[in-house]
Formats: sequence, structure tokens, C-alpha cells
Amino acid sequence: MDKLKAIIRREYLERVRTKWFVIATLLGPVMFLAITVLPVLFVSKTKASPASANITIIDATGVALGDRVVNELKDTSGVQTLVSVVASSEIAAAESLATATIMTEQRQGYLILDSTTLEGTKARYTGRNTSTVPDMKRVGDAVKAAVLGLRLEKEGISAARIDSLTKVDMRLEKTQLSAKGRERSGVGTSVVGLAMSFLLYIVLLLYGQTVLRSVIEEKATRVAEVVISSVRPEILMAGKIIGIGGVALTQLAVWIGSSVWIGANVAPMLMRKAGAGGGTGDVASGARSTEFMASLPSFSIGYVVAILLFFVLGYIFYSCLYAAVGSTVNSESEAQQAATPVAMLLVVSAVFIQPVALAPASTLSSVMSMLPFSAPIMMPMRMSMISVPAWQVAVSLTSMTLACLAAIWFSARIYRVGLLMYGKRPTIRELLKWLKYS
Amino acid sequence: MTDLAIDIRGVTKRYDEHVAVRNLSLRVPRGAVYGLLGPNGAGKTSTIRMMLNIMAPDEGTITLFGQKHTDKGVLDRVGYLPEERGLYKKMKVRDVLTFLAELKGVPGADATKRIDTWMERMSLKTSDKDWGDAKVDELSRGMQQKVQFIGTLLHDPELVILDEPFSGLDPINAQALVDTVVELKTRGKTVIFSTHIMDNAERLCDDICIIASGEKVLDGSVSDVKAAHAGRTVAVAFDGAPGLAVDAVLADPSLVARMDDQKRFLEVELAAGASSGELLQRLVAAGASLQRFERVQPSLHRIFLEKVGATGVEAGMSGHG
Repeated sequence: MDKLKAIIRREYLERVRTKWFVIATLLGPVMFLAITVLPVLFVSKTKASPASANITIIDATGVALGDRVVNELKDTSGVQTLVSVVASSEIAAAESLATATIMTEQRQGYLILDSTTLEGTKARYTGRNTSTVPDMKRVGDAVKAAVLGLRLEKEGISAARIDSLTKVDMRLEKTQLSAKGRERSGVGTSVVGLAMSFLLYIVLLLYGQTVLRSVIEEKATRVAEVVISSVRPEILMAGKIIGIGGVALTQLAVWIGSSVWIGANVAPMLMRKAGAGGGTGDVASGARSTEFMASLPSFSIGYVVAILLFFVLGYIFYSCLYAAVGSTVNSESEAQQAATPVAMLLVVSAVFIQPVALAPASTLSSVMSMLPFSAPIMMPMRMSMISVPAWQVAVSLTSMTLACLAAIWFSARIYRVGLLMYGKRPTIRELLKWLKYS
Repeated sequence: MTDLAIDIRGVTKRYDEHVAVRNLSLRVPRGAVYGLLGPNGAGKTSTIRMMLNIMAPDEGTITLFGQKHTDKGVLDRVGYLPEERGLYKKMKVRDVLTFLAELKGVPGADATKRIDTWMERMSLKTSDKDWGDAKVDELSRGMQQKVQFIGTLLHDPELVILDEPFSGLDPINAQALVDTVVELKTRGKTVIFSTHIMDNAERLCDDICIIASGEKVLDGSVSDVKAAHAGRTVAVAFDGAPGLAVDAVLADPSLVARMDDQKRFLEVELAAGASSGELLQRLVAAGASLQRFERVQPSLHRIFLEKVGATGVEAGMSGHG
């Protein structure tokens, strides 16, 4: 037992002490911040810029639609919108004049209103900011509202009434109903679920390959022979997997812990700041950020335990396979090729992350979350999105446990023989023979 | 309490294509320096690996200090230096040694003291420089070998097994190794080493076993082995270059079975039926100016070649160690 501890301690300390580990562990939360907060910041950035009112309106409608548009732009930033009322025949001349103001950067663009606008079919906008969606939406909405207002007025409705009648600022508030009656809404759970599954995928791949490299290092430097003259190869393998697993858990714990802390403390602050940043539509975007934050799933103890369990089982499964592969090769360059089948299992799982995230309750998702090789990535994600039937969780855990036992049995045998074999890589037939060695 | 450090009985190890060790029995007395001699591929490393329970024999039993070698704690009393050496390159020397000691059941605190003692002894720790804090790959090859050697002896093993310990050693480190082996012997430890360099074996060993193609060719104490092969060998040295007539005498197959040029003298093995007196008469008659003519015990090298044969050496070249 002391020897196993010595191996675990060596594997753990030698890795935790490296610069790479410290940097990666500290950068993780920063990345989390980027993944979760940036999209929300982008959401709050979808406000039109004040300068989008700095345009020339060429009004050829003859009913002063241009002035109505100016009203609808509801500009409070002091930007002057120029309205030039022209006859239909003068549009071309007015356009070239307006173009000049754009070229000299006095104006952002110009808007042409004519009879087709009054019919409600089109208005033309030319400018520098045509690909800025919020700006265009602002101008478009203003024209629409102006045309609507004009029509309503023709029907004899007073200006004040029009305002109150057309005032519709609708947000769709989404609440998901689960069997447990918990209420969580879409965006937040998806983000957390996706982030979680990608995190698990990355950590499994990263640390599986760490086990691989560690086995190869011991074999290539011939330390393995000294070590297994003192302890059984099974103990060495177990100690290695546990030690490196400890490193992975440490990193995961720091990442998740600090991410939760950032999610609870720093992120809302940043978002409030961004929300208060200025421009139009403060209230709406602020509300959106708050809604996003509220939609983040609460990390119940049960959920955290489940993630840990799935991670540990997944890690045991993959690291055993990687250890077996490592023992059959002589160098890292050989290893990349030999480890491809194992890596494929992981990559295939990762490919299905998106389909499963989009339809977490589908048959495909259920199957993927119960197959032992993809379960550690898929099940935690599904559990964070929907309430997964208990029997599926049970099947998933059982299949993974069985797969782990098989992987341990298989790998221990391959490892024991492979560690002392140098030279040509074994064929599949030779590997099968190794399994039978006593 | 048995007086045997190692007792191997009827051990056989088969690989897919060939038999590495065939029905081998060995007895190594406690406190002996024991040489396991044989050409490359004779099965020396396989035998050693089985002693250390790195590989399991297909047949036979292995007993260390009167206990089954698989019993708990038995292998903690053994130190092993494998033929292919290696350490964790990125680890600090002191950490590697502590780890190796812990694998043999030495507690960390205890190991620290022993490491200091050994490092000073091997001049890896001097008043100027302590290599203990350096990473292994910052050390020269010679220093790495010293570190590995320390790792083998750190837990003060009763039995030390050295697989081809002299390969790759410079003369200074080789001498340090010889000194250490002698010192271990005086402290009552048992040392087994495998080698195909007979000079080292002859200088150091009390007992030897020669194996070839996985089978024991002969074993026993060095003096017994040499005595058993004595009487047929004569050391001859001349003043100046011997003439053609002398060469003709030495080339006579009815008189000389084999001849080995040892630089300062010729080691001559008499042919069956020939006597040393006859050889002396013929040499004098041929006009040889003799500086030395002496019946000697043959060198281990001579015995080894005689027993294993040039073919054995050739055949063994390509196989496992």
C-alpha cells in the first residue's frame, strides 16, 4: 500500500508542479468567463449606435413621412437627422448630393422614401453601416412605424392613441418544465451543458494521453524495469492512473469551482456594467442579461456528484486503454498511430455533442448517453438540460462500470507483457496471445 | 534460516519462438559474489527477471532466502540494476532516489539521510556542488549511472543483482563498481552479476555459472572450476620473436589443441595424449629462447570458450539478453 502511495504521489506531484499545469489551471476560468459572458455581452451590444440616426432622409412621398421617421427614431443623443423633401423627379440629384456627405463622412447614410414606401413595400437605404444589423433594424423599424402611424392617422386615430396602440415591446420568457418541477429556461442550461460536455471531453482526452505518454516515458527510459522489480506491474499501472486522475480532478475542481464563483459574482457585475454602458435599449438588454443569469442551472450536490462519477468512470475506462496502448509501443511517434482507435472513441463522442445538445431527449441522445464510451460526455450534459429518466442513468452507470472492469482486466494483461517488449509493435494476434500469458 | 541466498530449481521459460531458459538450477550461497556468465542471448537476463518476479517461469521454483520469491516483502531485500539503465529524466535526482527507496519500503525521511551519505560517497555531493537538486537529464551519463547504482543499493539490500553492470562504464566508474562489490561482500551481502566479460568475473567472483542457449554448462566455485580444467594448459613466453621452427611446433595438432595469445604470453592447451614435458623438449629442440614455461590454471575466458564454443557465442549474438 505504501508503494502504491509512493507511485501515486510521484505521478501527482511531478505533474502538479509543472508550469504547464499551473498555467492551464489558472487560464481555465478565464476561458470559462469568455465562453459564458461574451455571448451575453454580445447580446447586450445588439443596440443600434446613436450615429445610425445621423442620416439624410430624402423624402419624396409628399406627405412628410420623413418627419415621422425622424420622430420614430426617437433619438436622444443629439444627432441631427436631416430631412430633405424633394419631388420624385429630383431623387437622383438628391442622392448624389447625399452620397457626397457620406464620402466626406459627415453622414452615415441616406434613406429614400417614395411612393413604394407608402404602399408598404420598400424603402431604400444606402450607407456605410448596412451590414450592422442593429443599425439597420433601427432604421427599418422607424420607417415601418412611420408608415403604420400615417395609415392609422388616415383612419382617424389620434397621434396619442397611435403611440399607445403601437407600443409593443415583447420578450418571450421561456421556462422549462421538468419532471421534478424545476424551472429553468433554455439558453443558460444549454451553455452550461455544452461547456460541461466539452470540458469533460477535453479533460478525458488530455489526461488519457497524459497516461499514454507517462507509460511510454517509463518504457523508453527503461525505468519501468526497475519499478516492476519492486512492485507488480498492476500496482504501477493503478498508481499511475490514480495519480494522473488526481491531477485531472484537481484541475477540474479548480476550473468548475472558480467558474461557478465567477458565474455567481463576477459575471453579473460585468454584465450590469455592460448593460449600463449607454446608448438606447438599456432596460431591455439589462433584462436579457438577468434572464440569462437566472436561467443558469443551479448546481445541486446531486448533479456535481453525478458529474464526478461519470468523469471518474470515463477516465478509468479511457486511461486504461491508453495505458495498454502505451505499453505496446516504443516511442511517442508510434503511439499517436497506435492510439488512434482509442482517440476515435472520444472524437466520435465529441462529434455527437451538438446533435445531442439540440435534442437532449431524442432516442439518439438516450443511446449515446448509455453507451459506455460516450456516456461520460453525454450523460452529464443531458442531465443539465432535461430531467433524464432514472433508469437511463442507472443503465449508463452500469454499462460504464462493466466497461471499466473489462478495460482494467484487458489493459493490465497487455501492460504487464508489453512493458518488457521492445522492438516491433505487436500484431492483434500477438496481443490476443498476451492476454493468455500468466 | 538457509545458507542459500538463491535456490533455483528446474526453471524453464519459453517464448513463442524459442526456449529462453531450459530446466535451469542454481544455488547461490549467502555472502558469495556470484557470476552468471554466458554469451548474449544465453538466457541471463531472463533468469534474472524471473528471480525478481518480473517474469513468471513456466516451470520450476525460485526461492530467495528460503522463502518463495513472490512472498510479500522478499523482493524488498533485493537490489536490482537492470542491463538497460534509465531514470525519470525530468525529475530531480533526490526525488528519483527517494521514490526508488520508497518502492523498496524505505520511509521517505530515512531515505533522505541515506541519499546524502551515498551522494557524498559517489562524489555527487561535494562542498561545491550538490547534484541532488539537479534534474536527471542535466547529469552526465557517468553521473546518471552513479545515481542508478545508488538507487540499487539505497535500501541496503541483502542480495544485489547486477545485470551486465560493466557495460558502458568508464574505467573510473568501473573501478568504483568493483570497490563497491568488494565492500558489499565484506559486509556479508550476496552479489550476483551477469556478464560476458570473463576478466571481471575472474577477478570478483567466488562462484560462477556458465549458461549457453538457456542451459547450464557448468557451475561451481571459481577455484574448483579452474582446478578441474588445470593441467592441460601451459603459459609460454619467449625472449624476442620465436622463429619459424618454433611456430611449426606450436602449430602441431598432435601436441597443441588450442592456443591463445595473451600478449605477454601464450596460453597453450595441450592436445589429448601430449604432455608438457614433450612440448618443452620440442620447443627447446626448435631453438626457442624461453622466458617462461609454466603449467597454469586456465583463465575463465579459456574455459568459457572451451565450454560454450565459438559457435555458441555466434548463435547467441542475435537473441534476447
